[in-house]
Amino acid sequence: MAAHGRPLTEAQAGLWYSQALDPANPIFNTGQYIDLVGPLDTEAFRAAVAQASREAEALSLRFGTSADGEPEQALGEAPDLAVVDCTDRPDPAEAARAAIARSLATPVDLARGPIAFQTLYRLSPTRHFWAQQVHHLANDGYGMVMLTKRVAELYAALAEGRPNPGRPFAPLDAVLAEDAAYRDSEERARDRRWWLDRFADLDEIAVMKPGRAVSAHRFLRTERAMSEDARQSVAALAKASATSWPDTLTALVAAYCDRFVADGETVIGMPHMARFGTAAARVPATVMNVLPLRVTPDEDAQLAEWLAALAGTMREARGHGRYRSEHLRRDLGLIGAERRLYGALINVQPYDRPPRFAGLDAVLHVTGTGPVEDISFTFRGDLKDCPTIEVEANPDLWDERAIADHAERLDAFLASAGTAERLADIPTALHREQERELHAFNATAHPVPETTLTDLIAQSFAAYPEAEAVRFGDDALTYAELDRRSAALAALLASKGAGAERIVAVALPRSLELVVALVAILRAGAAYLPLDPDHPPARISKILAGADPVAVLAPDDPHGLYEDRLLAPGDWPLDSAQPEPDTPAPDNAAYVIYTSGSTGEPKGVVVTHRAIVNRLLWMAEHYGITGEDRILHKTPATFDVSVWEFFLPLIRGATLVVAPPGAHRDPSAIARLIAAHGVTTLHFVPSMLEAFLDTPESEGLSIRRVFCSGEALAPDLRDRFHRRVNAELHNLYGPTEAAVDVSFWEAGPDDTSRPVPIGWPVWNTRLLVLDERMRIAPPGTTGHLHLGGVQLARGYLGKPDLTAERFVADPFVPGERLYRTGDLARRRDDGTVEFLGRADSQVKIRGLRIELGEIEAAIAATGLVRSAVAVVRDERIVAYVVSPDRSAGEALRDALAGSLPSYMVPAAFVVLDALPTTVNGKLDRKALPAPAFAGDGGEAPRTPGERRLAALFAEILDLETQVGRTDDFFALGGDSLSAVRLLLRLREEWDGDPDLGLVFEHPDVAGLAARLENASDLRDEGLAPVIHLARGESGAAPLFLVHPAGGVGWGYRTLARSLAPARAVHAIQAPGLDSQIEMPESIAALARDYADRIDTACPAGLVHVGGWSVGGLIAQELAVELENRGRAVGMVALLDAYPAECWRAEPEPTEAQALRALLAIAGHDPEAHPELDTREKVVGFLREGESVLANLSRATQDGVVRTVLDTNRLVRGHHHRAFGGTLTHIRADADHADRPQLRADLWAPHCAVLDAVGVPFLHRELPGKPASALIAPILSERMAAAERISA
Amino acid sequence: MTATIRDDLRTDIAEIIEVAPDTIGDDTNLLDAGLDSMRAMNLAMLWEERGVPLDFADLSEAPTLGELHALARQRSTAPN
Repeated sequence: MAAHGRPLTEAQAGLWYSQALDPANPIFNTGQYIDLVGPLDTEAFRAAVAQASREAEALSLRFGTSADGEPEQALGEAPDLAVVDCTDRPDPAEAARAAIARSLATPVDLARGPIAFQTLYRLSPTRHFWAQQVHHLANDGYGMVMLTKRVAELYAALAEGRPNPGRPFAPLDAVLAEDAAYRDSEERARDRRWWLDRFADLDEIAVMKPGRAVSAHRFLRTERAMSEDARQSVAALAKASATSWPDTLTALVAAYCDRFVADGETVIGMPHMARFGTAAARVPATVMNVLPLRVTPDEDAQLAEWLAALAGTMREARGHGRYRSEHLRRDLGLIGAERRLYGALINVQPYDRPPRFAGLDAVLHVTGTGPVEDISFTFRGDLKDCPTIEVEANPDLWDERAIADHAERLDAFLASAGTAERLADIPTALHREQERELHAFNATAHPVPETTLTDLIAQSFAAYPEAEAVRFGDDALTYAELDRRSAALAALLASKGAGAERIVAVALPRSLELVVALVAILRAGAAYLPLDPDHPPARISKILAGADPVAVLAPDDPHGLYEDRLLAPGDWPLDSAQPEPDTPAPDNAAYVIYTSGSTGEPKGVVVTHRAIVNRLLWMAEHYGITGEDRILHKTPATFDVSVWEFFLPLIRGATLVVAPPGAHRDPSAIARLIAAHGVTTLHFVPSMLEAFLDTPESEGLSIRRVFCSGEALAPDLRDRFHRRVNAELHNLYGPTEAAVDVSFWEAGPDDTSRPVPIGWPVWNTRLLVLDERMRIAPPGTTGHLHLGGVQLARGYLGKPDLTAERFVADPFVPGERLYRTGDLARRRDDGTVEFLGRADSQVKIRGLRIELGEIEAAIAATGLVRSAVAVVRDERIVAYVVSPDRSAGEALRDALAGSLPSYMVPAAFVVLDALPTTVNGKLDRKALPAPAFAGDGGEAPRTPGERRLAALFAEILDLETQVGRTDDFFALGGDSLSAVRLLLRLREEWDGDPDLGLVFEHPDVAGLAARLENASDLRDEGLAPVIHLARGESGAAPLFLVHPAGGVGWGYRTLARSLAPARAVHAIQAPGLDSQIEMPESIAALARDYADRIDTACPAGLVHVGGWSVGGLIAQELAVELENRGRAVGMVALLDAYPAECWRAEPEPTEAQALRALLAIAGHDPEAHPELDTREKVVGFLREGESVLANLSRATQDGVVRTVLDTNRLVRGHHHRAFGGTLTHIRADADHADRPQLRADLWAPHCAVLDAVGVPFLHRELPGKPASALIAPILSERMAAAERISA
Repeated sequence: MTATIRDDLRTDIAEIIEVAPDTIGDDTNLLDAGLDSMRAMNLAMLWEERGVPLDFADLSEAPTLGELHALARQRSTAPN
């Protein structure tokens, strides 16, 4: 190989890049040692290693970057054999292993080398460890086997005095030349097309362990020998399917992996040596590729046939195996550590057999195989003996126990396959895991009296006649009064035919009468059916037709649907002499609640007294509910959470506090209710809890207990809750079909679970996590949650087919039923259940269950469009419809308002010529265009208030498009919850105290702005000195990002929100934005001002700082200032920033040149606009454009211009002081072709340690989304590391 | 003797790529005939056990029966 630098091969480039992102990560050191027992001829061995090392040129490689910033390589010195004598150590083998581990854990210097080591540890005269270590850039697994064999071959000859045998390795140049030839070849283009054809329709891939797959600095490892049963099974299936055993084994392991993926399809990675038919067949080097393999097990196919088919795909893939999968990943746009091309690696290495050394016993021990991003299953050795099963995993995603379980289960899976006809016959869980699921985890038997809800309430009437039963504002009823009034109404209802197995509908607003009505219906022996009069008449009409209620208790009959069944509160008797009606039996229906149905038909869930009694008595006892409790009812009665709100107090002599109508949407009103009525217990859907915590009134509230259910409770929300409110927090879970809730979890302040579990089953209830085929899913595995026990609903009213479909025979307990929730769940190792979302198209938005199919059916029923699909994007429903009429959306919206409840009407309609499909003819969801949640968007906002409000709408609704002055908040996709968020922001930012009604009355930008402006003077735009970009978690130190040249810090929002774990991020904005404020005299003065702001915002503890461009330069000075003040400074991140002296050397820019920096900040490419060569033109262009800058008031725009010019002047006069810590520099590697001197080392004189990273983006792209996806993890890791050190 | 080595090689190759031995001529490109890297690896391992002096790299560089046979003959007659 020539002395000058050579480019890296495609195989090396990916590894180089990963190592460059994390230069201190030693995981790229691969290694093994061979335990040699017997008399070793040390000199012959030394000579053999020396010759093999010379032949294997890759071991001598050194790496650097060329003048133009590209990585390159050249040859240095070959490694010699080092001999280490451990014979005098107390435990020589242990000492040698420790030395091997230490060496592996030490990152090598790629530039200076050595990058490969050959070491012979002498343990005794007859025992040696021969350790090899090579950086992965130089060699791969097969290369290591070649090298080992070559040394063994040379040693045998040298020890016996024979001439050198065999053939030496071919030179490395052969591999480099072949790689270069492939890069531009037609073959590569063909290979690429082959892969794209097979992967273009790939949705987000399903893997065993979703999450960030970036190799940690170490990996977990477990190893066991394959059992004899498994070995025989693989051999027999290889024979039966006429495939090679390695392919058979790969296919079986893929089927095993797929069991841990919910989607039916997974993609595994198959390491491919990529040497066959190439020069690399005789060269140790890094050549290996990972071939992604789409695996869709057909559980019902003949096993041998399925194996043969998949093996055929593998062979075909290998034929195109030189095209790098990292390139395919980029081709497919899978950018970021969470968007992967494959999950588990399955690596069958039959060639890695125990090495043979003349006259010695040799045993191989693998110590490192390079980065482990997720999990890998490796099988080493021949099937004639039992190969090893090795599982290696990323400790950030897996734990020791999980991988040991996988090794054990996989072996059992392979063994079972030998006797299986079909994959379907093979269990996933081990026998002991199945036993635990069925018995230990579901031991919930608890005695419950044979009674009814009616009877439990009657007991309270007798026991607490004088206690306050119901409170509604200033009105209240004692238990005696409730008894009297409900008895009178019950008698009237009974006289109209109400009784066991009959239904009485209720459509009353929250009021005392509502409670009287429910109790009366139960006393009459009937079941109550809540109706929402705001639902479309067509829907109500369908429900009435199906339920055939005896009466409808409602204030009026707005749609003329109730007819003579209407019984308004004014007509109810207050007293009655009539006898008490017959009480119901425990198996009679207590209530019927309608939920969304996929066929477009709402379905009525019939729940018995026995079921709800179990639920209520469990809750009363479990949480110690007493007569002292005051329980808030605020959930609409059509939502089943209301059932316990109503009746939990009434069975314990406690007080039911009824919230006024509408209050459930207003978090401030809820907070006031809690305070005014001494509420001890209440419920929130988590998204509402979030809004509640945002309201100032919730700060410091003391409540006995808060229950969450209806949607997943986020861990961050739990933590925020406990920081803000003093109360127990309980997470409950259950579908309407199982009497409200079936599981519970205390999400207390010490709970650190992520996600927050749904916990454990309530009394007499079973939770089973099963796979698609009702097989038990092992702990840690996603499965379908099934429910059993007394709380199951009887079924769907009048729909026996649907009932039979969802309530199925329990395969484990004869005669029992299980309800298929359609929810995905997983057990932790300790048995706690976690909820993982919906399995089907049913979604939950704001806690409301929605069948997208029902929406699609309703759209189809309008006859307005040819086809339609409804999807959820950013928490809003979007309908894609096919129609020649571009304006079909408006007509549809009107039509659907008559057939769907408002929460199910799509927030946006996108009219297409055809729905995009994949090659398989399936809907291509990825290809659906992003909707514009915009109305007309035509007329731009005029006043500063309108602009501010339009920006706020866009921010809250996360819109990319401009919001016009006539745009309506709700038409843009807003809902009541986002309206609450808007309200809270209005209260923060405008004077006065607007209420929610204001937003509903004036939902358009112009109207709301006018209303707000009348109320008060407006302050200027949100250009505060410090703005909040992201909310943090406890424990994570805040990050302060300094504005770039324009002085505005909003551009950091994407980066701020990409950090994981989330942390508080603030942007510091320039004082010059406010024309009233004098610009400071120097960067140092500016930094002092900024340090003051940090001291105010965050008076103590560790802080991180950073900035892009000029912001980075200021951040360095800010770090020095903070350090001098004695503040602990963690990460200091400079995003493509360069020190002041580089700019002093440059000619002074003109005003226009300086202002062109604003173009980049506004998201334009300055190079694309050479015509903007005066101040007026730049400013004019920016004012016309669509950037945030364009939306600022003229005064503020002037402030931005002033800031750019001033900052530019200050930078040139600045002289850096040295910072005593580490500067992390992120270089925009794709940029600076014209100024190659702009490199990280320019900062070396200004810091103690320089941590330099390059990213393949342009300077102006750094704060954008794609670059942030790459930069955020780098910063997160630095900050976490700094926090560990500081702790 | 030579004929026997050639026939043995042919039989082994045919078995690995699942074709009838008589379809493999001296000049048949084995890659085209279905020899992929995994099968080549298995074949190389089989030959290593039997002491046939051909390895994976040989299969990679000389993927016809004629070339392989020539290599094997040359190595088994070469002085060692």
